[in-house]
Amino acid sequence: MNRGEIQIGAVILFTLAGHGMNANADGLPDGVQIHGFASQAVINTNHNNFFGNTENKASFDFTELGANISWRLNPSLQLSAQAISRRAGETDNGSPRLDFATVDYTFHASENARYGVYLGKIKNPYGLYNETRDVASTRPSILLPQSIYLDRIRNFVLSSPGVAIYGDNTLPIGNISYQFSVIKPDASDRETEGTFLGTDRPGKIKADSSYIGRILLEPNNGHFKLALTGVHMRAHYQPGISDALKGGNIRFDTWVLSGQYNAENWVFTSEYAQNRIDAHSFGTFFLNRTATGSSYYIQGAYHLTPKWSVLARYDVTYRDNNDKDGRIFNALTRAPTFSRFAKDMTIGLSYAPSNNWLLRGEFHHVNGTAWLPYSDNINPAATTQYWNMWLFQAAYRF
Amino acid sequence: MPTFRIFRNHATRIMAHALLGLCLFYGANARAVTIIVNPSVTVSSVSQNAVRSMFAMKLLQWPDGQPVRVFVLPDDNSLHKAFCKEVLDVYPYQLRQTWDRLVYSGTGQAPIEVGSEEEMLKSVANTPGALGYLKKTKPGERVRTLSVGNPIRAFSGE
Repeated sequence: MNRGEIQIGAVILFTLAGHGMNANADGLPDGVQIHGFASQAVINTNHNNFFGNTENKASFDFTELGANISWRLNPSLQLSAQAISRRAGETDNGSPRLDFATVDYTFHASENARYGVYLGKIKNPYGLYNETRDVASTRPSILLPQSIYLDRIRNFVLSSPGVAIYGDNTLPIGNISYQFSVIKPDASDRETEGTFLGTDRPGKIKADSSYIGRILLEPNNGHFKLALTGVHMRAHYQPGISDALKGGNIRFDTWVLSGQYNAENWVFTSEYAQNRIDAHSFGTFFLNRTATGSSYYIQGAYHLTPKWSVLARYDVTYRDNNDKDGRIFNALTRAPTFSRFAKDMTIGLSYAPSNNWLLRGEFHHVNGTAWLPYSDNINPAATTQYWNMWLFQAAYRF
Repeated sequence: MPTFRIFRNHATRIMAHALLGLCLFYGANARAVTIIVNPSVTVSSVSQNAVRSMFAMKLLQWPDGQPVRVFVLPDDNSLHKAFCKEVLDVYPYQLRQTWDRLVYSGTGQAPIEVGSEEEMLKSVANTPGALGYLKKTKPGERVRTLSVGNPIRAFSGE
């Protein structure tokens, strides 16, 4: 066994031990909780590769595993930490990561208001699903809409070391909650580099101080949800040895507007995002430019019975609003025109036999490759514009 | 006297409808859920906002500073569904989403789930600061009931 396998084994053991202790509540000290999750998917595509070697094959290369422990010392102080291991084709090799390690201090709490601070490695508030995006049962589908929740930059967006202030107020129109974080995101992985620099480069992207914040309004006891997220992230490039690129700067600014309506048997969700990627000072061997892209999806989920539900979604992303069909980019870089957009029609079916278990199947018909993982598709010329994808997933959580 | 018979039949029907309506009216007003607390809890009534915040695991202490220990029944339990609808005005899946977010993002904890109403009664009776719910309480049980303020009156600024 190599070191990675031992670490994955440790996460599995911790998850199982936690599950055992939870089943016997007396086994845990007062105020301590242990929770966890696990999922395994099968993925098949007719063209292109998504999370593994999926083209005309069934790939088992998408696995999610995680466990957390939290300790509520008193009503104003909680310590929590979560470890995750995620395998996702060539994009993620399953090596365990510290997902969060948070000190939550509430300095005021009453029935109508609450204020506090998070310190440590904290989850980033982004849209409706980001904070728990690795837990299958908290997602509406096996894959989150890739336009807004681009898995290629998930590590960059997911959680970061930093500090956040949060608040919560009950207003006559409903509950309003907000969080503002100053963070130093993780930009070191190959997928993030590919997203910002086009391909894996010899040097490394290093994040600088960045800001992320969200305001969430929940009128009518949360039957409606309205959120606005703002992201301002900055990073710089540290060139490698004999690197053609100079030490340029990257700025990533995003606005996300989210809306959701929760009825008894159906949930309607839509999110719209506008993001601006500005890469400059990389020298003459790089396309120093700014591109503003936009993304949105509309999604409806319907509960047929308490255990069965269906989902339909239309998800669109454009990497550059001024070049939606990708022709200008193609003329400049020879990258395929269809790598600059993606339109994904998804239908899905879920079966939840209990609160712990979830079985899902879904089908995607996609036009474009804007969110296709770089690492699974090393040669852009070998990608196909129109492609289909099937996914099945079994998930457990406690 | 066919006319009288028709009138009498009508009157009977109207009265029956009125009676049914009255029953439904009172049935809808009388709560099918009783909020219970451990006798250590010193307050006897709280606002609906406070109850919501406690079950959303946001308000974690009673006005006297004692920590709140929240107990709930499983999501698909019929009393839990009635509790969500009547007391909190949310669907059980929304409450689950709220707890999931806390648990898997390191910003809070889940309430303690009990399997049955008997277990609920036992847990709330034996846990200082406990908060839960039952259909009805019987005299002699070691829990107290908590009355929840009317939200409409709360908003009128009374």
